[in-house]
Amino acid sequence: MTRADKVLLVGILLASLVSGTALYSRFFLDPVGAQPIQAVVTVSGKAFRTIALQSGARSSFVVQGRQGASKVEVDGRRVRMQQAPCENGICLKQGWIEHPGQSVVCVPGEIVIRIEGAAPLDAVTR
Amino acid sequence: MMRSGTRRVVFLSMLVAMGTALHVVEGMLAIPLPVPGVKLGLANIVTVLAIYLYGLRDGMTVALLRVLLGSLIGGVFLAPGFLLGLTGAVSSTLVMAILLKRTRCFSMIGISMAGAVGHNIGQLLAASLLLQTSAVLYYLPILLLAGIPTGMFTGYLLNSLLEHKSEIFRDFA
Repeated sequence: MTRADKVLLVGILLASLVSGTALYSRFFLDPVGAQPIQAVVTVSGKAFRTIALQSGARSSFVVQGRQGASKVEVDGRRVRMQQAPCENGICLKQGWIEHPGQSVVCVPGEIVIRIEGAAPLDAVTR
Repeated sequence: MMRSGTRRVVFLSMLVAMGTALHVVEGMLAIPLPVPGVKLGLANIVTVLAIYLYGLRDGMTVALLRVLLGSLIGGVFLAPGFLLGLTGAVSSTLVMAILLKRTRCFSMIGISMAGAVGHNIGQLLAASLLLQTSAVLYYLPILLLAGIPTGMFTGYLLNSLLEHKSEIFRDFA
């Protein structure tokens, strides 16, 4: 390799690093996981409450469904149905949900908890 | 360099044939990288040889014919990939011809690296025109980086080849 070769090599390397930093920095500064996600609770098709899901926040609240009071628990970025009056308990068995697009549905109570936000890709095919 | 018509045509045809073979074989080699589209650029070797021996015009002829024949064999003639390969071949041939004929300070390694980078940049510009999006430019840093080892590799092969040029090209150049 001549001197000019090495200069060229370093030049290409620098160009790659600079363009790479310029193009990709916003992904590192603002990763997809940090985008706002919220849980939307609807009763009988009407929006009941919207909760921003952020790390560290814990809360729970009562939702009046068609069959009585259900309790929704929020733990940081995830949410679940904690108590439900009906005997099936399907919404309880659903457990915690945390990804955009996931939902907990209580059919008898007509309560739906749905997580909204920028959904990550399921898979990439080539 | 040698100017005799028939020998030149014969040697150029051999370069085209070798370039086509390398082009096709290279398409079968999978490079173990997570990004698609990175390849060694082995077929570039014959383009450099043609420029080195006969100049830009014949180098361009060899590159264009190689891409054309390679795409016909690979069954991708006029497919998007073919258009990208064509632009890449043209831009890398131009870059390498300028460096080979107008400068003295680069070895084959530098010329190959510049050719690889020229190939990738031309290809990306064609892709962004074709897809009507600038999003493909996110590929630029990766392709620039990939051009270094692949260019060094083909440049190393070319350097070793030209060490023996008096034996190999005795009858041609």
